[in-house]
Amino acid sequence: MATCPGCALLCDDIEVIVENNMIKETKNACRRGAARIKGCINRLAPSIAQKPSDLESAIRKAAEILRNAKSPMLFGWSNSTCEAQAKGIQLAKKLGAVIDDTSSFCQGLLIEKFLQKKFRTCTLEEVRNNADILVYWGSDAQDSEPRHLSRFSYFPRGESRQRGYEEDRIAIAIDVRESNTAKICKGHFYRIQPKGDREFILALIDALSGKVPAYEPKKILELASILKKAEFGVIFAGIGLTYSIKDDFDILVLLADKIPNFHIMPMVGHYNMRGFNENLFRETGFVNRVKFDGKVVHDNKYSIVEAFQEKSIDALLIVGSDPLSSLPRSLIRHLTSIPVICIDPCVTMTSKIAAVTIPCAASGIESAGTAIRMDGKIIELSKIIGSDYLADEELLTRLMGAL
Amino acid sequence: MGLDVGKFMKNPEYELKITTYRDIFQVEAQERDRFGKDYEKLSACIVMSKNDLAKMGLKSGDRVKVTNNYGSIVVEVKESKRDEPGGVAFMVNSPWSNVLVSDETGGKGIPEFKNITAKISLVKEEITTFESLMESFRKCL
Amino acid sequence: MVTVMELYQLLPKTNCKICGESTCMAFSVALLGRKKNISDCTPILEENFKKQKEKLESLLLPSAGAGETGMIVHPEICTGCGNCVVACPVDVANDPRGAAIGCAPTNDKVIFRVIDGKVVASNIKECRRFGKNKVLCYACIDPCPTGAIEFV
Repeated sequence: MATCPGCALLCDDIEVIVENNMIKETKNACRRGAARIKGCINRLAPSIAQKPSDLESAIRKAAEILRNAKSPMLFGWSNSTCEAQAKGIQLAKKLGAVIDDTSSFCQGLLIEKFLQKKFRTCTLEEVRNNADILVYWGSDAQDSEPRHLSRFSYFPRGESRQRGYEEDRIAIAIDVRESNTAKICKGHFYRIQPKGDREFILALIDALSGKVPAYEPKKILELASILKKAEFGVIFAGIGLTYSIKDDFDILVLLADKIPNFHIMPMVGHYNMRGFNENLFRETGFVNRVKFDGKVVHDNKYSIVEAFQEKSIDALLIVGSDPLSSLPRSLIRHLTSIPVICIDPCVTMTSKIAAVTIPCAASGIESAGTAIRMDGKIIELSKIIGSDYLADEELLTRLMGAL
Repeated sequence: MGLDVGKFMKNPEYELKITTYRDIFQVEAQERDRFGKDYEKLSACIVMSKNDLAKMGLKSGDRVKVTNNYGSIVVEVKESKRDEPGGVAFMVNSPWSNVLVSDETGGKGIPEFKNITAKISLVKEEITTFESLMESFRKCL
Repeated sequence: MVTVMELYQLLPKTNCKICGESTCMAFSVALLGRKKNISDCTPILEENFKKQKEKLESLLLPSAGAGETGMIVHPEICTGCGNCVVACPVDVANDPRGAAIGCAPTNDKVIFRVIDGKVVASNIKECRRFGKNKVLCYACIDPCPTGAIEFV
């Protein structure tokens, strides 16, 4: 059995048929996972200043760039093992660098609240065994964590949910779009306007407090009565919700107080984003946006987005991420002529403009390690096939040695 | 006979709210080849409700220019398979939709990926290719 | 996919019982399940029902090539989520410690498995829509987010 590094569900029941060290077939992995396991067609090659080089020279050049930088940033990390992330944090300390990850413009703020124990939460196994009311809020699990409903939440039979989805569970979707997940939740889909989450939560709190909500009273009262009946409810909070309520998580805490039988769980896309958040939190008390400056300094200005805005960094090491593809172009404009170093298994948009590129093994496929599932459970990643590429952890060790 | 007035008139422009989403088929294409035609085809599109399409005189397969203060792209129109009330259009999260995302973050580090306002109009131009996006990045840098 | 109601609307709706079923509605169900043929309804063969008969034939035509249960899987639109694997009552009964509880199937008796990210159906004779005591089960269709499974 192998573990799929396709998303933060980290499905560990995957069968992979390997022939001549090539992946021939996957069993049980979803479309997203199967694509990740089979890998990309454009493997990255070592380069310096857009010209082919050997690996050792590329590592030496990367070390030189980082050594000469006054305020370097180390970014990425959500597609790396916990071991590589720990190395990355060490490297940031050694360099006195800023370290940030993709959670900075994704679920980081929310995950921080979980690590600070602001919400009642639970494991996915508990969801499978006990949950009766499931609320997908701003989350299209069907497309982003495709086996979420079939492995854990809605469809399986669990210890106290022997009749599974037919009788024992209700799935609800709250979203601006009738997503594939909303389609499964038919009859329990609540459409909201973009940025309408806050208004919806307030109305729901009113309804749960016995007041008539100001907004869509009939639907909200109906939803409140379903939520009140829950024996073991779960709200799966997606980035739709996080982006909408931004840093105003108190409102979610307020809602959670009204429904004591509910648990909240963050939905995470990248396979080890939560791993990075937990590793950095253990080390610094923060999940991202940290500068090691003799001491630990946490500030929004150390987020990749604000660093681009303020042009405050003079070198950027990226591990397993493609900010050129995933950030607004209006921000990329601010990324002036600073040297970029890319460590990645594949060619990315960012690697195409990088000063140095260093190829690595695809983690969880060509190298093993551990990762943290969206609910906080530690999962082992397996090495499915051998390869000549070094793991990102090993590359970071060499890079540190070359400093 | 007569003057082809349409030739000189700009196609009407409509203001539009856009929110981004994730699509498993597009993610699959990205995993395999983020520079490939499949990824481009699944990214460079905008999904709209039947109501909005009728209002704007558009149909599936049309090419539209989507423009705001941050940038401009040409994408293909797709009619939503769901019974959407309209008022909001959907674009899959990609370097294409990211052309339209604001750089205003209020210092909080999170761009407004899901709350984009833009103008849309029917055009004959070709769909914005990956190469032209990459070219525009190089000019920015 | 054609529904029982669509077929029923085209029948004479006299509940004459000539076909052997007690009502025209029951006959529609039997038609859809391929237990009966259009020709079992002798009234519809008459000239004044010609149009309805042709429509019925065209509606039932796609099922001609669709195997005994009429199941068609469209792998190109399947997301590989495995909802059908876990929801199928046959899979639940045949693999209580695997598919039934959301895990990977532990034996070969299940109908649905996900291979290379797409669903593959086998053991089709186990399907509740197959055989003498077949029932009109929707357990794999309803949980599918993209309509990748249909019965014709």
